[in-house]
Amino acid sequence: MKRFITGNHAVAEAARLCRPQIVAAYPITPQTPIYEKLSDWDAAGELGGTMMRVESEHSAMAVCLSASLAGARTFTATASQGLALMHEMLHFAAGCRTAVVMAVVNRTLAAPWAFWSDQTDSLSQRDTGWLQIYCENNQESLDTTIQAFRIAEEIKLPIMVVLEGNFISHFMEPVEIPEQHMVDGFLPAVCLPRRFDVDNPGYAIPTVTQQQFRKYRKLSQEAMEHSLEVIEQVDTEFAAHFGRSYGLVEAVDCEDAELVILTTATITSTARVALAELRAEGLKVGLFKLRIFRPFPTAAIRAVLDKAPRIAVIERNISLGREGIFCSEVKAALINSSGHPRIQGYLAGIGGSDVNPKLIKRIAHHALETDMVQDGPLWMAEDE
Amino acid sequence: MLEIKFSGRGGQGVVVASQILGLAFFKAGKYPQCYSLFGGERRGAPLVSFLRVDQKKILLKCEIRQPKELVCFDDSLVDPREVKDKLVPDGRILINTRRPPEAFRELREFNLGFIDAAAVSQAVGLKQIINTVMLGAYCRLTGHLKLDHLLEAVAEFAPAKKEANIEAARRAFESVES
Repeated sequence: MKRFITGNHAVAEAARLCRPQIVAAYPITPQTPIYEKLSDWDAAGELGGTMMRVESEHSAMAVCLSASLAGARTFTATASQGLALMHEMLHFAAGCRTAVVMAVVNRTLAAPWAFWSDQTDSLSQRDTGWLQIYCENNQESLDTTIQAFRIAEEIKLPIMVVLEGNFISHFMEPVEIPEQHMVDGFLPAVCLPRRFDVDNPGYAIPTVTQQQFRKYRKLSQEAMEHSLEVIEQVDTEFAAHFGRSYGLVEAVDCEDAELVILTTATITSTARVALAELRAEGLKVGLFKLRIFRPFPTAAIRAVLDKAPRIAVIERNISLGREGIFCSEVKAALINSSGHPRIQGYLAGIGGSDVNPKLIKRIAHHALETDMVQDGPLWMAEDE
Repeated sequence: MLEIKFSGRGGQGVVVASQILGLAFFKAGKYPQCYSLFGGERRGAPLVSFLRVDQKKILLKCEIRQPKELVCFDDSLVDPREVKDKLVPDGRILINTRRPPEAFRELREFNLGFIDAAAVSQAVGLKQIINTVMLGAYCRLTGHLKLDHLLEAVAEFAPAKKEANIEAARRAFESVES
């Protein structure tokens, strides 16, 4: 059924359709409406599972990872400072090979305080061992949440479904909500190892030697690499069930492009409008959407961009003292490319500032016309 | 694509009004997209909400800068210079006011509509809650939507006093001259 709802509401619907046995969460703007929706259903006896109202995000993740180790399907959601407070437990959730699914609603990290979209919160958790998938709109946020349970429970690694504050969390749009029996047909009942056995007590998290630690990390890395195949396979199956799919990456008009604009999340959606206008100007521009960030889909990127003459990465985050984080990663992925693409990073939309088609076209013109590539990022905004 | 801006004060139901109107367009088979500039708002503080409507999927994930229509819940927030700067030149404005039309002669280049919303809301027992009144007036003035689609949306969305809100929208629709 199609409904006119926010991205937060869409994610809550997706989580409920996946029949999580444990939801543990703590409210924080702009994630709060997800928490409220799940709470309402819990109060009305319509959630199915158990909702735990914990005292902090650190505790929320401790509950989720423990429940996952007990074999339960688990879901949580957070944003910004809440995600930062979870940081320590994120490493535990990944290191223990749990299958926790978490919606992360991008929001600026303080200080100063703000409420708007900025990807630096989720990207700061890059090295925790979680998969990260960046969504472009409300529908993709709902669909990705459903896909995430399949992926996480197959590879036994936790997943962040990342949606932007305001532009997704609070924008209302028509969203197709699948029927329960359709989701049940796609996502089987949870079947995770039950690692707490009261008859045979033991450590869930042992202390290990140097060699054992190295081997654990190597196994996790292999699972990460393998997960790219699983993500694609789940996406293909999702398309067969629901008629929608997203891929690891998406290339639009890149074959003959002299310039490829590389984006993630909602900037991609707006860039589709800018791209049509740039093509109408007669400019050979393409658009490349990066959807999966961890594991990083290097081969899928190289297959399209190895010989791209110029790439402009437009992004809403910054690693202070360096540049936009997606730009650094894309440069690293293409370092051995035979075509040696010229890659320029553009910071646009930091702090949730507006990225409209006019600004994207300005960046595209700049990238096509300039002969210099700067190692650092270029700041672009309506008022800069 | 139609772009509409709603302006008013915290507590007037401005955000809910934009969402109900979005739902009404959705029921009429259109593709709406609605958002508000939330943050530190509180009762009495000026706030704005926005609605895009198109026949096909809307890809824009950015702010509305030059709306075609303005629905103003509070006439003290109408700044003619700002309106001329921001609204599309042949745009339409609906203002909740008790002042005579001459009070807004600086805006005569636009397509103007007026309603004394509190008079309608009080008559149906809603006191100062005027958002469904504004929507009824909007539908009559613009002709974009059938009244039935609006009333269905009000019935589905109104958090309280559904019958009074439906009656408010209906009366406003019938009382405003288009």
